[in-house]
Amino acid sequence: MAAIDHTEALREAVEAITEKSGTKACAVAVHDFQDGIRFSLHGERVFHAASTIKVAILLALFRGIDEGRFRAGDPLHVRNRFLSAIGRTPFRLDGNSDGYPQLYKLVGRTAKISDLAESMIIWSSNLATNLLLDYIGTEYAAQVLQEAGVRGIELRRGVQDEKAYEHGLNNETTAEGLVQIFAALRGDFLSRASRERVIHILLEQKFTSMIPAGLPLHATVAHKTGEISTACHDAGIVYLPEREPYIVAVLTEVDPSRNGHRETVRKISEAVYQAVTGKRSR
Amino acid sequence: MSGAAFKVVDGYTLPDEHRALLQPGEEVEDESGNVHHLPSFFYSIQSWREAHETRLAPHFKLAELMIVDCREADLLLREFPHYVPCAVSLLAGFLEGFRRATDAPVFISANGGYRSPAHQRNCAKSAHCWATAADVYRVGDTYLEDEKSIARYADVAQSLGVQVFVRPYSDGDDHLHIDLGFVTVTPRDCSEAR
Repeated sequence: MAAIDHTEALREAVEAITEKSGTKACAVAVHDFQDGIRFSLHGERVFHAASTIKVAILLALFRGIDEGRFRAGDPLHVRNRFLSAIGRTPFRLDGNSDGYPQLYKLVGRTAKISDLAESMIIWSSNLATNLLLDYIGTEYAAQVLQEAGVRGIELRRGVQDEKAYEHGLNNETTAEGLVQIFAALRGDFLSRASRERVIHILLEQKFTSMIPAGLPLHATVAHKTGEISTACHDAGIVYLPEREPYIVAVLTEVDPSRNGHRETVRKISEAVYQAVTGKRSR
Repeated sequence: MSGAAFKVVDGYTLPDEHRALLQPGEEVEDESGNVHHLPSFFYSIQSWREAHETRLAPHFKLAELMIVDCREADLLLREFPHYVPCAVSLLAGFLEGFRRATDAPVFISANGGYRSPAHQRNCAKSAHCWATAADVYRVGDTYLEDEKSIARYADVAQSLGVQVFVRPYSDGDDHLHIDLGFVTVTPRDCSEAR
């Protein structure tokens, strides 16, 4: 994004993509470390965070490890029983709709915290997410977000808390907030060891049909997707060997009755790449 | 008991940092407000290998009755020796009978056997601090996570003696809690004189 016209071109491209796909709402934020230029289209609009909230839990976990509050190698009891943020009523997760059903085989036993962190991000395991959040605490995680200077991400509860959802108590994010959290992960907020570990986990992401699919094959992406029936998101750090990385967050609110939501995010990723580098991705 | 013969230690003779966590002989309140004395005599376990090699009953190794997670106090989680109240052998004997009655393997959850008074899940002191309680999360292929399965095996446990307490199902339970009350064991060659 060396020139303002590239920014304008990106804005026009995103608007054309979302209009054509029938996307209800879309926000895009970019921070390019090559020249420090930022781009924001509806970057402050609030969306249901879906699984992108897991990045906030990852940040809090590793901050807590740096502070000596938690240990990555410690065992944690695997239970499928959680308390709703509304009324503290118990609820369970459905293993069949979880990105990592294998973890349910460990119910009753223990899993290493570091393994749970990997499952939470790489396979988007809801069970691992709620176990970790239950352990580290929503209050502490929110405090870490504040300390990291992340604005626009509200971590209020675990995932699949249907009662909280019915009461409108959701985890929320903005595209700007996600760019900030990835900047915190990449910067010096965490120790070097934790930073390297976190980036490595995010690079292992198995759901690659959105941001990575819009990039040239030599790109690598440390990212996290988030999908529910009404939202389709992806955000992360794009590494290209020939230049400094950039952070991109693409959030969309979608019509559940339509298809092609991931394809929309993929096309936006492609447009961002073109605007940032001046090249076509493929 | 097969495997290693454990050394028995009087909790009152332990170093201060262990006594602070294990609180041997101290008066504590249970969740009903009744006062009990915590155990004073413990088996001293030197390693996980020893715990895994020791069968307290034909189908129950010591290890599965002492697995805790990181909510346990650091010193008790990470360092050996581990100290487990001597009544754990009574629990294992009961569980063996329970297994026989159910005719299926019985699985005890992490944090579901002995956990110290310092464990974060022991705000009110439960029989787990006496090593006389077990949280059964699975019997055979059945996970105990609904009222029907929990009630079924609660009836079996209850039928094994008047001393057996089973916690009735409450919404969202994912295990059957069984305990033998606040039983302490003083090995024959130990003295309770203070």
